[in-house]
Order: sequence, then structure tokens, then C-alpha cells
Amino acid sequence: MDDSIDVTQATTGTTEIPSYRPDAKTRRYDRQLRLWASAGQRSLESARVLLVGSDATGCQALKNLVLPGISQFTILSPNLTTSQDVATNFFLHPDSVGFPIAEESVKYLKELNPAVEGSSRVEDPASLVSTNADFFTAFTLIIASNIEPSLELQIADLLWEASLTVGGPEIPLIAIRNSGFVGRVEIQLREHSVVDTHPDTTHTLRLDAPFPSLQQHARSLDLSSMDSMEHSHVPWVVLLVRAASLWKESHGGNLPETSEEKLAFKDLLRKDKVKGDEENYEEALAQAYRVWNPSEVPWEVRQLLDDESVMNISSSSKNLQLLLHTLSQYIVAPPHLPPTSPSLPDMHSSTTSYVQLQNLYKKEYQSDLARFKTLLAEILLRIGLEEGTVSDEEIESFVKNVGGVGIIKGRSLRESKEGRGLLATEIDGFDESDLSATCFAMHLALLASERFFVAHRRWPGTKARDDMAQDNREVEEIVKGVLGGKIQGAEIPDVFVESIAEVTRGGFGTLPTTAAFLGGVVAQEAIKLVTNQYTPLDNTVVINLVKSESAKFKF
Amino acid sequence: MTAAVLNGETNGLASSSKLEFYLADTSRFESIDKILDRRGPWTNELFQGGQGTKDFLRNQSKILVIGAGGLGCEILQNLALSGFNDIHVIDMDTIDISNLNRQFLFRESDVGKSKALVAAEFVMKRVPGVKVTPYHGKIQDHPITFYEQFNIVVAGLDSIPARRWINATLVQMAQEDEEKIIPLVDGGTEGFKGQARVILPTVTSCYECSIDMLTPPTAFPICTIANTPRLPEHCIEWASVLEWPKVHKDKKLDTDDPDHIEWLYQQASARAAQFKIEGVTWALTQGVVKNIIPAIASTNAIIAASCCNEALKIATACAPYLDNYMMYVGNDSVYTYTFEYEKRPECPVCGGESLTADVGRDWTLEKFIETLIARQDLQISKPSLSYSRGALFWPSPPDVFEATRPNLDRLLIDLLGEEEGVVVTDPSMPVSVNISLNYV
Repeated sequence: MDDSIDVTQATTGTTEIPSYRPDAKTRRYDRQLRLWASAGQRSLESARVLLVGSDATGCQALKNLVLPGISQFTILSPNLTTSQDVATNFFLHPDSVGFPIAEESVKYLKELNPAVEGSSRVEDPASLVSTNADFFTAFTLIIASNIEPSLELQIADLLWEASLTVGGPEIPLIAIRNSGFVGRVEIQLREHSVVDTHPDTTHTLRLDAPFPSLQQHARSLDLSSMDSMEHSHVPWVVLLVRAASLWKESHGGNLPETSEEKLAFKDLLRKDKVKGDEENYEEALAQAYRVWNPSEVPWEVRQLLDDESVMNISSSSKNLQLLLHTLSQYIVAPPHLPPTSPSLPDMHSSTTSYVQLQNLYKKEYQSDLARFKTLLAEILLRIGLEEGTVSDEEIESFVKNVGGVGIIKGRSLRESKEGRGLLATEIDGFDESDLSATCFAMHLALLASERFFVAHRRWPGTKARDDMAQDNREVEEIVKGVLGGKIQGAEIPDVFVESIAEVTRGGFGTLPTTAAFLGGVVAQEAIKLVTNQYTPLDNTVVINLVKSESAKFKF
Repeated sequence: MTAAVLNGETNGLASSSKLEFYLADTSRFESIDKILDRRGPWTNELFQGGQGTKDFLRNQSKILVIGAGGLGCEILQNLALSGFNDIHVIDMDTIDISNLNRQFLFRESDVGKSKALVAAEFVMKRVPGVKVTPYHGKIQDHPITFYEQFNIVVAGLDSIPARRWINATLVQMAQEDEEKIIPLVDGGTEGFKGQARVILPTVTSCYECSIDMLTPPTAFPICTIANTPRLPEHCIEWASVLEWPKVHKDKKLDTDDPDHIEWLYQQASARAAQFKIEGVTWALTQGVVKNIIPAIASTNAIIAASCCNEALKIATACAPYLDNYMMYVGNDSVYTYTFEYEKRPECPVCGGESLTADVGRDWTLEKFIETLIARQDLQISKPSLSYSRGALFWPSPPDVFEATRPNLDRLLIDLLGEEEGVVVTDPSMPVSVNISLNYV
């Protein structure tokens, strides 16, 4: 199901060409496999997702997860379907009115993909949290859609506690809140590994520090004896490696540093041109900046190497931590560089020169990979883990794309909501002219509305029209309390008053379009969390559909 | 509370009378009525609110959806639930198995049927009270008067020429009669990214104004394909562009036919083996020849929701609509960028100024045509050029092609003199473009 066979594994020159004509399943999922490939699809197909709550937003999120093929989903809600539910939720029908909403929605969502299991649980989540915690921890990911604030925190606490025990389940929670045109998505995760961020480029060309076979190849070329055809088809990578090597020889082993030197370097390169329009030289000049970009471990990854969890590994460490630890040991030995990637961008070249160059990189990759594997095996042995703990596929994908990994450390939802996280920092730095000011104010309006709900057992804006002003005033008072006088003046800035008014106007009702928008956002994040590919949100995004804008925060 | 009592009472009723109760119960719109009855802090003065607004939305407005694919399915769902009750949808495609990972109104048993018809039927069944009128066919087959009947057009297309066509059609309509400004809401997605925009013909920038933002399709130089292949893609292009016509003569390549893909895959694999190039696969072959763009349900959901949210705001004035472009990027956390895309004065569709081209005195007509094809702001591939004395170079019909082909080798300045410009038309360009020449 791979969307492309790895070049290093593909067999060539065979007379029998095997047909990989895709089966029905591969054809169904073709458009998504081109994003997350078979590894991502496998993770998705083993994911179990729980939806607590049963509103349109939650069901829209599930729709976008059932379609790409998660393993199973469950909807937990004690409610019976009302006509108000039907009018906003596509996964209900007027016939559903009066029947358990969880059962009805499951029925209509299951139609979307016969490969996905769906079940409902018609029970009060609040009592289930206190009596049956195991029910919740059996899922891969939980979505809480517009449930009562206290229940939301109870579930968040349960998952956070579970993740604190060594080897305990790490289950991300995605919490949704929406009112009219305003929506918010919060993600609680303790620690999340990204094995493939899908960076724009995965090439490690080593122009500044060529491995011996590359260096030798570049220096062995006799440019002056080449005919013009051959000369104009030397790949730019070779031209740059050669020029950099020559430069180093005449500059005490150093590469160009100052802008004058960089210009001089380009002039040196230009001197070898025999004709004005040699495309390979044009490409080399355009790519020359790569020569003074060192091939070392990227900064973001270096930060990870210094992390406690990577420095001190144990038998309960995650695979990514084991791989990063191995990388930290790998670069101790000269040339202190990360493993070579086998990938090479396309460039103006003859077929033979290109294939020859590609083979150099592939050979180097194979030998770096072997060294990395030996090192990893030693490390696994030392901490008492079996050699197969990290699969060959995982090792190879890590070695090929060292720059494309990440670790995200999150915060508990309780900490964020109670303002013990970075909310205070955001308030201190608040500036009404920031692009994110309205979204920030909307977050506070939602936060204050949750406190309003806890006090009144109803949401702001849910009484008759006349009471909106009274509700607004009360929410404003709560917001003032959260701001704690940090924003000057007796009155809170207009943007807060306006944001509160817009949130109250929605009366915490679900607009079908807001539900669909948030359902899409939540599903994208869920896919990223489940596949460990692409970088997920950490930890809050506010969507303002009045102005069609969003802003994200780490609270 | 009355609704809840009603729900309880209707539980034992037959389905048809249950449906009557449901349709008669206007309290079902409670959530959306909150924003249609109440004014928000950013709501325009023109907003009336209440019954009049709801009546226009639910009983008077007529909305057209172009495309019943990935975005279209989502758009139809959202419009129906938002209260648009007279929806029309056009799509020329039939359902393929690879649509099912996101086009959620379709099932395996629908493969091969018309997208527009199946989608319309599904939405009407799921959301009783909504009328969806399907059209199975091309948008270009409808006369301009067809488009005049709608209040809003929402487009969820994957085809650029179709987008250019509907944009030009609506702009032209507004240019001829300023009473006929029909808003065009346009969405597009690729992988985890997408964009939604609102086009008010003649008032805001139009689709053609931003045509230069499109990344041109990856085109491999023919000499690379023929002589120096390096990538598996080069071998696949060789098989489809050079080998297919050579071997199959007049039989057209059908990229939807798996046997055709199979043949290309075999040819490309053999060529790759010969050049020691690795990585030709069935999926890559299909991806290259069909120019497949990755597509997932969640991104379509976001963009379609944004488009329909704008349509709702335009129809009811309950909140200001997008002015005029929003980008969503989900690869790296969540990022949106909302901005006003400005009108391009020399836009061939809505701008007043003509385009100019810098040309050399030693340029042949052929060289000039090559530079036109390379222009980002034109996005054309098979242009026909005319001047005051008629055809300068037309690739078809064959007799005109034969008559004008000798001009390709002639110098531009000899053909046109110092002053004269050219008129360019192209199958992918919805209007003809006047280009004046500037000899440098």
C-alpha cells in the first residue's frame, strides 16, 4: 500500500515486472495514502475513538475519522434525540426524535465506511467516570464535544493521571466548545512524538562536509577535458562539492563566511563555465548558499537530544526517545554529523551522472544505517530491551529523515483552564492591536461562560432576548476577575465586551457550519495524533467565524 | 420545553406523521435562530433580523453549488442544514471508488452513477423539506441566463478552467448590468491545506486576478523525458507522452482505465530498468498521469464549512462576510491567514488595463508564444494569436494551422511592425486578451 517504493529497496533490471495494481481497499484510500502512506494508515486502522457528547460538532469530527478508516468509535450520551438535534446534525433524521441520540448517530455514521466498527453507550458519562475509569482508558483518543465544564475536567483529570504512571496509557483529549460563530478546540496531551513532520526537504547533501567517496568523486572530475555536452551535464551537487573543497584548500580549511567571500566563491564557480547558458552552473549558483549551511543535526532536534527523557533512557522509554538517544551517541564519533539521507533532488544532469551520484548517497546511507543499527542494538542491550523493540522500518524512516521528528510536551487541561499555565503571560502581553486579540478575548469569553454555567447551570444567552444584557454584564465581571486588573482602566477593552456579546448571542447553540468547521479541525488534529505524522496543535485554537480567522495559544 | 413534550408524544407515531410534526415545529431551528434573531457586535446596520431574514433565507433564496465532489458533498450538507431550501447542483462526473474516502453522500453501490443525482437525492432524503435540483453535465453547457436566477454561487471545483469560466461568466454579467452582482464563494483544498474566498464580481478581486498565484503543473522538459531521464516520473511521462501515441496511434489515453495505467506502468518500469532508475510503482504512475492531488475529508469539511458560513452571512447579513480570502494550513499545528486579495488592474477578466509584453527585436513568433505559455499571469498552454489581418498563429483547425505555421519562424517585428499588438485566446482562458508589445 506504499505510495512509492523506497528507492533503496526497489529491484531493477528484473525481466518480470510485477504488477502492483491496487486492490479495492487501496483504491478507496488512495487520496489519503498519498499523504500519510501505509504506516499512517495502519495506525489509523488500529485507533479507537470515543466521543463524549453527541452534538453536531462531535458527529462531524467522527464523520471525518470514519471515512479515512479508524478501527472503531463509540458515542457516549444518555440523551434522547430532540428535533433541535436533528435540525443541526446531518447524522440524525426526523425519525430519530425520541430515541437515544448515541444509537441514532452511530447508525448513520457507520454507513460511511463498512470497515469501521461503531457502538453506542447510553449512560450518564459523569457517573461512568467515577465508577468505570477503565472504560475511558481503553480508547486511543477521546473527543469531548460541548459537554458540561465539570465533566470535561473530570475526564481530563482521569486521562492525565493515567498518563503519569510509568507505562500508563497516553490518551489525548480533544475538547470542543462552540457558541454561534465562535469555536474553540483544546488538546490535552502529556507527551506526543512526531515521527514524520513532513518537512519540505529531507535531503542531507553534505556539501560542506562531503563523505570520502563523494569528495573523491567530485575531485576526480577533469572538467577541462570534457566536451561541452558532458560539461553542461555535471550535476550541481558535484560542482558545489568540488568548488567547496577547492576553496577550503586555499582558505586554511574554512568555508566562505563573509559576504565578500561568498561572492568570491560564486565567482570561482562561474570561472569554470564554458558557455553562457549552462543550466547546471545556473543551478549550482542558485544553490550555493547550501555550502555555508552546516550539515549538523538541526537545531530543533538538538534541543530534543538534551531533553531529560532522551538523555536518560530506560526500558520504558518510547521508541522515538531510544532513537534520539542513539543519535546523540552516533554524533559523538567523527564527523559528528547525522546519518546521510539517500534522497537526492532532481537536477540538470545526464542519466548516468545522476544515477552514479545517487548511488554514492545510497551507499553512504547504507553504511551509516548499519553503524546506527549497531549502536542502537548495544543501547537496547544495555537497558535490557530486545533487539527487535524498534522495528527496522522505524529505524530506517528515522535515519532517512532525522530533521523530521519532534516531541511535544503538553499541559493538563485543568492547569490551562484554571490559568495556572501560560494564560497569565498572554494577559500580560495583551495588545488590542494584535491580530490575535479578538480570538484571545473570545477564549476568555468562553472560559468565563464555563464559570457562568457552573454557577447557574445554564449557558449565557439561553434565556429570552431581554436577558442578554444581564448575562453579558455577568460574564464581563467574570472576565474582569480573570484579567485581575492586569489590563489597565476600570472598563475592560472593547474587544472583550464585543467578544462576550458575540459568544452570548450564539447562546451556546451549534450552527451547522461552525460544527462542520470545527469537526474538520478536530479530525485533522486527531489524525495527526493517531498517526504520529505532521505536527498537532498544542494546545488551544480559537476560531472566529464572524471574521473567518483563528489564533492559537499555548495556555 | 414544549418541543420535548412533543417529541415524547410523537415517539409512537407512524413515520409520516412524525415527519409532519417535525416539519411543522419551527422551534427546531432554535440554534440558528439565535443568530438570525439577534444582532451581534459586528453585525452590519442593514441586518433586519427575525422573520423577514429567515423568510428570505428559507423561502426565497436560490443557491447554486458547482461540483458535487469532495467539497460539493460537504457544501450540500451544510447549506441544507443552514436553511437554504432551494439548492441546485451541477457536476459532470460519475462516482469512482477513490471518492469514497471523503465524498460521504456516496456508497460503494453508487459507483458509476452521476454525482449530482446521487448527492441531491441523498440530501433530500436526510434533510426533509429541502429541495435539491441536480444537473448532470458541464457548467459551460448552460446559457448565461441560467446563472442569472441564483442569489449566490458556491463553487467546490478541482478544475481550474471551470473556475475561470464561472468567474468570467459572473463578472461579465455584473459588467453588463450592475444589478446582477451574484456573489461567488470559491473553495479549494490540497492535503491538509485549503482556501476559501468571496468574490463579488466587479467589486472585489476576481478569480482571474490571482491566477498568477497558482503553481503551474509540474512540466518536465521534453528533452529530459526523451534523453536524460533521472526520476521515475520522467520514465512515466515518457510512457504516457511519447510512447502511448507512438504505439496506440489515434486511440486516446484514458487515465481512468486501469488497463491503460497498467500499460504505462509496464512501459515506464522497463525504461526505468534500462536506465537503472528506481521507484516506478503503479500508484506513482497513476498519480503522475492523472495529476492526483491528495484529498481528505477533514480538510474538505473545513473549507466547505467556511464557504457555506460565508454564503449564510451574505444571504442574511447576520455578520460581515469574508473580505475576501482565507487560507487554512494544517500541516504544522493550525494556521489561518485572512486577507484582502486586491484587484489586479490588468486582469483580463475584471481589470481595465491591457497587458504588455517585453519582446526582443530578434524574437520569432515561436519564441514569443513560448514566453506567453511561460507567463504565470496567463496560465495558458495552446494559445491562438490573431491580429488586424486575421489569424497570426492558430493551432487548429488543421487548415488554419497549416496556413499560419510558416509565421512561427518569422520575426515578430516583421509580422506586426512597431505599433501593433496581438489578441490571444486559449482553451483554458475564459476571455480573449489584448497584449501590446514593447520592443526592448
